[in-house]
Amino acid sequence: MHVKRKPFIEVNHVSKKFSERPVLRDLSFSIDRGEIVGLIGPNGSGKTTTVRLLNGVISPDAGDISVGGYDPRIDGEAVRRMSGVLTESAGLYPHLTGRQNLRFFADLYGVDEPDRADALLAEFGLAEVADRKVGTYSTGMKKRLGIAKALLHRPAVLFLDEPTNGLDPEGIRMVLDYIRQLNERDGTTVLICSHLLQQLQRVCHRYLFLHGGKVVEQGSLAELEARHFPGVTLEVETDLVLSDGQYHGIPARQVGPGRIAFTLPDRSHIPRLLRRLTQEAAVYRAVPVECDLETLYFRIKEGTAADE
Amino acid sequence: MNRRAVWAIARKDIQSITGNLQVWLPMLIVPLLLGVGLPLGLVLGFRFGGQSLWTGNTQVILEWADKLAVGELGTVWPTLTRLDQKLIYLSANYLLAPLFLIIPLMTASVISADSFAGEKERGTLETLLFAPVDMWSLFAGKVLAAFVPAVVVSLVTFLLCALSVNLAAWPLFHRIMFPQVNWLPLMLLVIPAVSLLAILANVFISARVATFQAAYQLGGTVVLPILLLVAGQVTGVLVLSAMVVTVVGLVVAAIDVLLLRQVLRHLNRNQLFASQVR
Repeated sequence: MHVKRKPFIEVNHVSKKFSERPVLRDLSFSIDRGEIVGLIGPNGSGKTTTVRLLNGVISPDAGDISVGGYDPRIDGEAVRRMSGVLTESAGLYPHLTGRQNLRFFADLYGVDEPDRADALLAEFGLAEVADRKVGTYSTGMKKRLGIAKALLHRPAVLFLDEPTNGLDPEGIRMVLDYIRQLNERDGTTVLICSHLLQQLQRVCHRYLFLHGGKVVEQGSLAELEARHFPGVTLEVETDLVLSDGQYHGIPARQVGPGRIAFTLPDRSHIPRLLRRLTQEAAVYRAVPVECDLETLYFRIKEGTAADE
Repeated sequence: MNRRAVWAIARKDIQSITGNLQVWLPMLIVPLLLGVGLPLGLVLGFRFGGQSLWTGNTQVILEWADKLAVGELGTVWPTLTRLDQKLIYLSANYLLAPLFLIIPLMTASVISADSFAGEKERGTLETLLFAPVDMWSLFAGKVLAAFVPAVVVSLVTFLLCALSVNLAAWPLFHRIMFPQVNWLPLMLLVIPAVSLLAILANVFISARVATFQAAYQLGGTVVLPILLLVAGQVTGVLVLSAMVVTVVGLVVAAIDVLLLRQVLRHLNRNQLFASQVR
């Protein structure tokens, strides 16, 4: 008999107000162990509040939360022991050096591996500046140190708020590769809040779209695409001349010189279209247009606005 | 209590003081002026000008000492024959005590006002509250960070004071005349207990208000004057026995415990977050 595993993180009908201003309303979602999930939403949609609630540093007004089997309201310490958190400002002490910062947090998190701080400093390319005060670090260096800090105690779950903000392209690649490796190697569950959708697309298995304090859509890229963009667009480089916005009944449009986009009901129609096209015109290239997260984000946002 | 976290927080806060010259230099200069410069000036002034003082100016204080011949004062007073000796002995042993209360209270107030409000202003409180450290340990770390420097500064200043006062007065006494034994419970019990009282109140205020400025204003204008007033009176017991001074110290320590219990009842992570994290 197949028994469904209990999700690692479960949020059920949670609401939270700050000074009578509702921030979360009836928020519900779940995350399985070992998933990398992107939490997406406009500013003020409740992403940071969600991370705080999951760590038990604030309490919900209503609803239930479970992280790794613990209720953060009651067993906040246990949740915080297994969580690594990167806040948006990184939260480091400018008067301490990079190494001193990590050692301080190692003491708070009860880390007993003497070489852990140095290993992480090396891993995030900070070994050479380890003895410099953090106040003199660039934004990217602070961000990398913040992530190293969140990883000190080998957490089972990582909460990352804008982890690549302020990083240069090398830094972004380093951080995203590390998150992916960590997830594959240790099975770390990761929740990433970010506005940088293209970057999220490189690491996340699944996405939660937050709007007005609740989850308005969720799923993997393929699931979301199937729901919001049911057709397939095939972009073809060809010398074919379109006459009236269609080709043998298939909707088509000119998207550039010698480039036509065909809209098909699904991928099974691609071979037949290509066979006919190659008989009637020269075809140089044909690429199915993949729907990116950004396009989906705006489609979902438009849908949510229309519902309201 | 998470001892490792307590010491880590205290060490980190103390490092933030010692790592900034503009912070620690005034913290040393003012105690040195009050605790060493002023007493030394007093002793040297009486040593070189005491004998020529008009009797009318000193009459009241000498008569007061004659009448209060209890404890160590009662034993030593009759052996002092010269006016300058009497004035130096009285001023060193009985007039300096309030200064040694001002020193730790000043040091403690600055550090403890910064404790939570400073973390908020530097954007680090959130990270600290995300750590698996209970509120009791967090609070204890903050209290320790103010208590250790306050007590160390006042004890070191006191030792330097004793050294300079005895050296300056040596030609007149040819023995160690300061401090009396009553000073031991004062320095080792009363002053740490009063400092702790100021720290507890200030750390609590710092946890409740949003900025260091607000915490310092409240601590400096409400807590500090009240404590100085009370403590100033408390030092009066120095003329009595060491036992009385010890009892006073124990009473203040008991008030500390009561205050600590109250503070811990009113301090929680949610409230700290709600009041301080933007």
